[in-house]
Amino acid sequence: MSAPMPVSPRTDAAACAATVARLRAQREPRALVVGNPNTGKSTLINAVAGTRLKVGNWSGVTVEKREARLQRGEQMIHLLDLPGAYSLSPHTPEELITRTALLDEAPDVLLNVVDAGNLERNLYLTLQLLEFRVPLTLALNLVDEARNKGLEVNAVLLGRELGVPVVETVGSKGIGTANLLGTTLTGAQVGHPLRYPAPIEAAATDLERRMQPLQTLPPHAHRYLALALLEGDPSLRGRLSATGHAELVDAADAHRAALELGGHDPLIEIAEARYARAGEIARLASPRSELKLTLTEKLDKLALHPWLGIPIFLALVLLVFRLTFTVAAPFVDLIGGPLQEVASGWAAGLLGWAPLLKDIVVGAIIPGVGTVLSFLPTLLVLYLAMSFLEDSGYMARAAFLADRSMRGLGLDGRAFIPLILGFGCNVPAVYATRTLERRSDRVLVSMILPFMSCSARLPVYVIFSAALFPRAGAWVVWSMYVLGMAVAFAFAWVLRKTSLPAEGSGVLLELPPYRFPAWKVMWTHAARRTASFAKRARTTVLATVAAVWVLLSVPAVGGQAFGQVAPAQSLFGRVSEAISPVFAPLGFGNWQATGALVPGFIAKEVVVGTLGQIYLGEQAAQVRPLGALDGLKQTTLATWDAVKTSVSALPTLVALPSFGADSSAEQKTPLAAALAAAFTPASGLAYLVFVLLYTPCVATIGAMQAEHGRRVAWLTVAYELGIAWVAGLIVYQVARWFM
Amino acid sequence: MTPDLEFRPNPSRLIGFMGDVTLDSLKPGQMAHVVALDAGHPLRRRLLELGFIRGAKVQVVRCAPLGDPVQLRLGHTDLALRSADLRGVTVRL
Repeated sequence: MSAPMPVSPRTDAAACAATVARLRAQREPRALVVGNPNTGKSTLINAVAGTRLKVGNWSGVTVEKREARLQRGEQMIHLLDLPGAYSLSPHTPEELITRTALLDEAPDVLLNVVDAGNLERNLYLTLQLLEFRVPLTLALNLVDEARNKGLEVNAVLLGRELGVPVVETVGSKGIGTANLLGTTLTGAQVGHPLRYPAPIEAAATDLERRMQPLQTLPPHAHRYLALALLEGDPSLRGRLSATGHAELVDAADAHRAALELGGHDPLIEIAEARYARAGEIARLASPRSELKLTLTEKLDKLALHPWLGIPIFLALVLLVFRLTFTVAAPFVDLIGGPLQEVASGWAAGLLGWAPLLKDIVVGAIIPGVGTVLSFLPTLLVLYLAMSFLEDSGYMARAAFLADRSMRGLGLDGRAFIPLILGFGCNVPAVYATRTLERRSDRVLVSMILPFMSCSARLPVYVIFSAALFPRAGAWVVWSMYVLGMAVAFAFAWVLRKTSLPAEGSGVLLELPPYRFPAWKVMWTHAARRTASFAKRARTTVLATVAAVWVLLSVPAVGGQAFGQVAPAQSLFGRVSEAISPVFAPLGFGNWQATGALVPGFIAKEVVVGTLGQIYLGEQAAQVRPLGALDGLKQTTLATWDAVKTSVSALPTLVALPSFGADSSAEQKTPLAAALAAAFTPASGLAYLVFVLLYTPCVATIGAMQAEHGRRVAWLTVAYELGIAWVAGLIVYQVARWFM
Repeated sequence: MTPDLEFRPNPSRLIGFMGDVTLDSLKPGQMAHVVALDAGHPLRRRLLELGFIRGAKVQVVRCAPLGDPVQLRLGHTDLALRSADLRGVTVRL
């Protein structure tokens, strides 16, 4: 079970009073949308709020916060979509947020989204919500799906039993959404809260009475708080004790002790009373419940088949992987190549009058922005694929299938997906850790992700194996991937034993029915997440690119102009030379090899380019000024090419990836020859191991910082530099006896 | 039929009553009624809230291809649980 998140004590009293005051001042009714996971809530809210839905992050946690202000006639409503929760006991960050919002946001009205096909369990939460003295409207969602299963729910009866208005909806088709908003604004009712067995009811009433004079407790929540205290909710006890309500907690403990002495267990009896009532209402409202063999069960026979399940899973993962990197690659090349050239050309043309400014724009700003932008196609395609798997219900099955194999690391099956994605690109993989329930798991997986050899490292492996291992190239490349995984798992094991121990026991996940995802929801999610990466990565990447550019432009010896120096004479060369002795034990202690590692920090594929620049003395191609029309023509042609390449790649998706194939083609390049002269096989191998393991690229660091904070990001950089150095040392010292 | 149930604080010590077994011993396809949750079960609260209350009918649907976790059906919900955690749920066939 996840440990309760710390709740700052200062907030409770002050925040509650402040929120109430602010809301009164605003005079806009505030509706909280609450529901179980997998009830089609996102689709419904998207249908209701559409483009007005604004997405942010809850402070301190990586859970999406979605809000919208909606106008209906004269009235305004502020809609706050809370993350899915099975109950109001916080087991996950999502559930903690939902409960905190119910306690602190002083809602005017609640909108409870319920899956018509799973009434009994969904009503458990509804009955808990009715314990808040806040008007509520119930959206009976997915009525079409329930009907297909053979379930007919009588909305009128359901509403009468609960004492709240019920609106039938189908979010994906927009059915009932207009009515829902109107009812929520004007028709919501406080409803009939549940009566518990006498001894529990007596204890709860006494606790409520004690809360009356306490100004700092939100009055709408007294009954919920009383019952949760009787249940012994650990995080709530902690929170109330910390905010000066220790007396109340003591009173609740006394009641609990007395109840237990009398042979009662409040936790069990409260849950039983809620389920008894939920079952009663469900049977009344939906008497016919012979279930047909649904499509979900038929699909699961295949997807979770004892032998076929895992091959299907692996094939799907491979397909997503290939889809992402094959379909997006031409656009990545487009942004990194032609588009960047055109932008540089235009800038050169426009800024001809200010050479220094031109150098900054062309040399630092455009490549920096380009680096950030070049991640976007990959991320977009990947997020679309992930949303599809998630919203269709397959992701839960994937976790189910992979769980056994992830257990050795104290992780559950959900961790498998980010690790696989890491082979393509570490950046989206870091964001994919969001699907993990516990924070320690998210951090752990993110920290080992950079060891998964991303596709940007492949060009480095290929050129070195062509230069130094012409016969065993494919094996060298393959062993890099394997080594990366081995180090990742070993590191994970060490982290588990030291700083990030596994919390609680195992996996408990719902296998929701398969659904065809709503394209619009998928698209908006993917586009938003992609944009948020661009927003966050911008500063880190730009700063790093600028720093390297300055290092390369500042002459270290007299008589040279700024921006006109060869790498050897620049500050870059000097800095590299100063660092290089550190790498002497690894076999490549010269400034050239060291220097190429520095820009590799921005993106690992840059290592090859820099090696070329250094060894072959190629000057960076002079940017030619470009006219507006020429640029436009180039852009259009290049974009068209990218679209064609991307589409024509689709049929090859099912083919297996092949690494070594390219190495023979590269064999004759001058760079390979230069590398063959500069490195011994042993030092080359050590260099590759170092490139594999040293710090992730700056975009990955940016992503880690955004998800887990600065400390985790820089700790990872430090750890990995250390591990890379040690591994390089071992490889070189061992290999030079054999090679 | 729901068996008559009484609350026992630590059922794992009381197994031996005819028909009472822990949930991990059920085979795919078998159905049983929940008798009790081990008081020390790490997921106890969560399971209660998901409907593992006394008398609830639970069916083992299948095991994952590697033998673990286990897919359970409870009402209209399918859940996956590790068999180690099933050991803390006492059921009556």
